[in-house]
Amino acid sequence: MVPAEDSLDINVRKRSQVQVVQLRGPLRMGQAVDGLRQAIQEAVGGGDTRIVLNLAEVPMIDSSGIGLLVRFLASTKQLGGNIKLVQPNKFAIQTLRLVGVLNLFEIFDNDDAAVDSFA
Amino acid sequence: MPAEFSGGPENSALSELLDLSMPADGEAIGAVVDSIAETLAQLEVPEQKRFEVALAVQEALANAVVHGCGNDRSKQVRCRLKSDPQGRIVIIVTDPGPGFSPERQPDPKRGENLYADHGRGVYLIRQLMDEVHFERSGSEIMMWKY
Repeated sequence: MVPAEDSLDINVRKRSQVQVVQLRGPLRMGQAVDGLRQAIQEAVGGGDTRIVLNLAEVPMIDSSGIGLLVRFLASTKQLGGNIKLVQPNKFAIQTLRLVGVLNLFEIFDNDDAAVDSFA
Repeated sequence: MPAEFSGGPENSALSELLDLSMPADGEAIGAVVDSIAETLAQLEVPEQKRFEVALAVQEALANAVVHGCGNDRSKQVRCRLKSDPQGRIVIIVTDPGPGFSPERQPDPKRGENLYADHGRGVYLIRQLMDEVHFERSGSEIMMWKY
């Protein structure tokens, strides 16, 4: 359930003018949140405000990670973009729901559907 | 909502399962959380309960590092895991800080707070655990899971 390592692998690729960010590992305070913040800041700084976050391999999101997601959701929307989530597991969904932000996000079953939704 | 009052379940029959100390460094939190999750797995605690405890511990340690220790790595945070004969679990996180007033925490689900980048930790702990007690003026948190 909870990986022994604290690292978060972040893989970013661009598809149809959408940044698709694949995450693997817990999204929690420290290098994981800092690394994702940097990745999204670079995307937004480069003019890419349409972002898909694949959470299929993220076993935990803490309040620090939630704070990051909602802040970037707000900032990308202000710039005409969005952050859409793909396959958050049941624990991630539970966590987002507990703090009342689940309904702020559009959630998809796969990357293709999320990317296509920007068209 | 969990009860929140001084005391809590009888402490005298608690068995200590882990007693860990870590520097007040956000990077050190994950290892402690994982140690607790692994210990609970060895005790065959169900996955759902393990997750809820692990996330609550993550949040409590983060609060201790950031607010209790001011991210000062020379300070230490202590985390203990205990259980009672009924199988109830308690985690105690202690920091050397001056404490805080848990009742003054804002509601993160209020409209103006939904997009805030902080302020959800204590709320999450209260939602995830069955009882939460703040001791030592808030510099120690006791979190029970039944």
